[in-house]
Amino acid sequence: MILLWEAKMKGLLVLLAVSVAVFAKESFVGDQVLRITAKSETELVLLKELSQLEHLKLDFWTEPVEESLPVDIRVPFHSLQPVRAFLAYHEIHYNIMIEDLQALVDMEQREMINTRAPEPRSTDDFDYANYHTLSEINSFIDLLVRENPNLVSKVVIGQSYEGRALNVLKFSTGANRPGLWIDTGIHSREWVTQASGTWFAKKIVTGYGTDAALTAILDKFDIFLEIVTNPDGFQYTHSSNRMWRKTRKPNSGSSCVGVDPNRNWDAGFGGSGSSNSPCSETYRGPYAHSEPEVKAIVDFVKSHGNLKAFVSIHSYSQMLLYPYGYTRTPCKDQAELHELAKKAVTDLKSLYGTSYKYGSIITTIYQASGGTIDWTYDQGIKYSYTFELRDTGLYGFLLPARQIIPTAEETWLALMAIMEHTKNNS
Amino acid sequence: MNWFCFVWTVLFSMVWQCPAAPSTPSPTAPGSTAQDEVECPSNCVLLIYSNRSTSEAQDPLVMTSTELNPDHYEAQRAAHAVRYYLNTLYGTPFRQLSFSKVHQARTEDLGEAGMKYLLEISVKDSLNKSSEKLCSAEVVYPRGETQQPPKVQISCAASLQLNTSAEEEDFYKRYSAADSAVSGKDIPDSYGHVDPEMVPFWKLAGVASTFIMLNESNENTLYNLAQVAKITQLESQNGQLRLEYVVLLHDMISQVIIIACITTSDD
Repeated sequence: MILLWEAKMKGLLVLLAVSVAVFAKESFVGDQVLRITAKSETELVLLKELSQLEHLKLDFWTEPVEESLPVDIRVPFHSLQPVRAFLAYHEIHYNIMIEDLQALVDMEQREMINTRAPEPRSTDDFDYANYHTLSEINSFIDLLVRENPNLVSKVVIGQSYEGRALNVLKFSTGANRPGLWIDTGIHSREWVTQASGTWFAKKIVTGYGTDAALTAILDKFDIFLEIVTNPDGFQYTHSSNRMWRKTRKPNSGSSCVGVDPNRNWDAGFGGSGSSNSPCSETYRGPYAHSEPEVKAIVDFVKSHGNLKAFVSIHSYSQMLLYPYGYTRTPCKDQAELHELAKKAVTDLKSLYGTSYKYGSIITTIYQASGGTIDWTYDQGIKYSYTFELRDTGLYGFLLPARQIIPTAEETWLALMAIMEHTKNNS
Repeated sequence: MNWFCFVWTVLFSMVWQCPAAPSTPSPTAPGSTAQDEVECPSNCVLLIYSNRSTSEAQDPLVMTSTELNPDHYEAQRAAHAVRYYLNTLYGTPFRQLSFSKVHQARTEDLGEAGMKYLLEISVKDSLNKSSEKLCSAEVVYPRGETQQPPKVQISCAASLQLNTSAEEEDFYKRYSAADSAVSGKDIPDSYGHVDPEMVPFWKLAGVASTFIMLNESNENTLYNLAQVAKITQLESQNGQLRLEYVVLLHDMISQVIIIACITTSDD
């Protein structure tokens, strides 16, 4: 009974801490909660004296009223030393109830936020107009496969550095087909891309059989869609740093973590459009394809051997880009890719008026060496494109959730233009 | 205090490039690795901007005037410098200036004096969304080893001047009251949400940031405000609204997130 009471009390006390934290925006970093049960009148008096010492800023959650009733005190980090010394000197026994209050508060807050909505029981219930966690997206992937076993399968192409599955959705209506590849989320902070990826996945299953153009594409090609191309980075943007871009692989000899997965490909690798410093956001890595997230796609592309289009999706800037990023030498299909890009952005704009620039990477945005689509293009995948989705800098990476679906819808029109052209020219 | 002549000043701004979160958590101090624990200036290292040299250094034998593709990055970056400049002059929490399109662009190599960009751009005013002004602008990027801000001029400056709006006056009146203690963090939040009440503070941070962005601009940068990490209202002096901001600026070219501390005060 007493144990139950104590547990309830702890829950209540933590709740109190949480609500205080939420509304007062105070920090409890390093603070501890000590529980003292006074064993004598003397000890009780001492505790009351302790509570009078204003400079210690002690927060008595329960007052010293009588012996045998526990007194809980939140001790701010800077007062721990003197308080412990005081208690030790007077031989007053105490327990540490909460070792780091802030950690507990943070955890509770995260749990509160995560219990926003119950897990969707079908992909029809999935909230496409919101951002999701890695586990929610992985659940979505499994759900989609279960609901559409004749159209969709999950291909695990490898593991991230931290051991997470690299999941690719395969949409296929027949064997031995050429393929079209789409990836989102290679840079983890570009959240509208992973969100759009889930929308694309659902669009494909609902469109097959109902949308003539998409059905024609799927009757000739497989579509491969990797929604969370950098899962370690994505997890990190949720847990620690919303602005994380790179992978999470440590760099030997440096305290800086991560490699830019869009500078790690073997195309102009090591050029001046990338950095050789591990602390840089455009660090190319120790060697080409050093990152398992990149190597997995490289291996997949090579072993598949029959991809006809490759689209890698980023944000932000509102651009549709084709090779090259590493050199100013125009790629040999420049004219065709330029025309197709023009059509794609015109289709995109038709929906909500969103304006995109288009051109080669190096002329339109900047020199980038070791980039994804330079490599895929040089592998012979002619229709290699990179998107930079909304917006142009007002919200940047922090695009409001209400813009996810409009972004996905308009981008889909551009993707359809690329896929249709690929179909008609392969 | 003069409510009818509102000019706020960026009193103090320093720029630090910090790793957005330390890679290894500090083992002893109760500091956290979360980005919202940034304190200015203690855990940041002063940035010595070394990213200046452009890989496309002009061949001295090349013609001094070069036509640019207005949609390509060279002209676009210069247009952003114009954008920062315009907002340092005319930006407020309720009015921001930007550009919709660069119509024409060319460069003039001024040798020792720097590289001049001449642009024809359409300027957008958030107060008047339906009409745009076609303006001529010049941006001169100085040459040298250390970062120096570009010098910007624009033809339509006079026509952009406006009086302080009632909205601005209300805003300053409301928040410079003695008991006002505005504070906030992570604006927008991870999901892009901005509390309606915080919108003017967010916009003000954007305008204040343009001072820094202009200062740090060169031919190899393109800045946007990524997020307001923290905002704290400072004690009002002489009825002024004083705010302390920690902002995250994103440079599109290096992809770096820069942490900057700004104090603003209306005059």
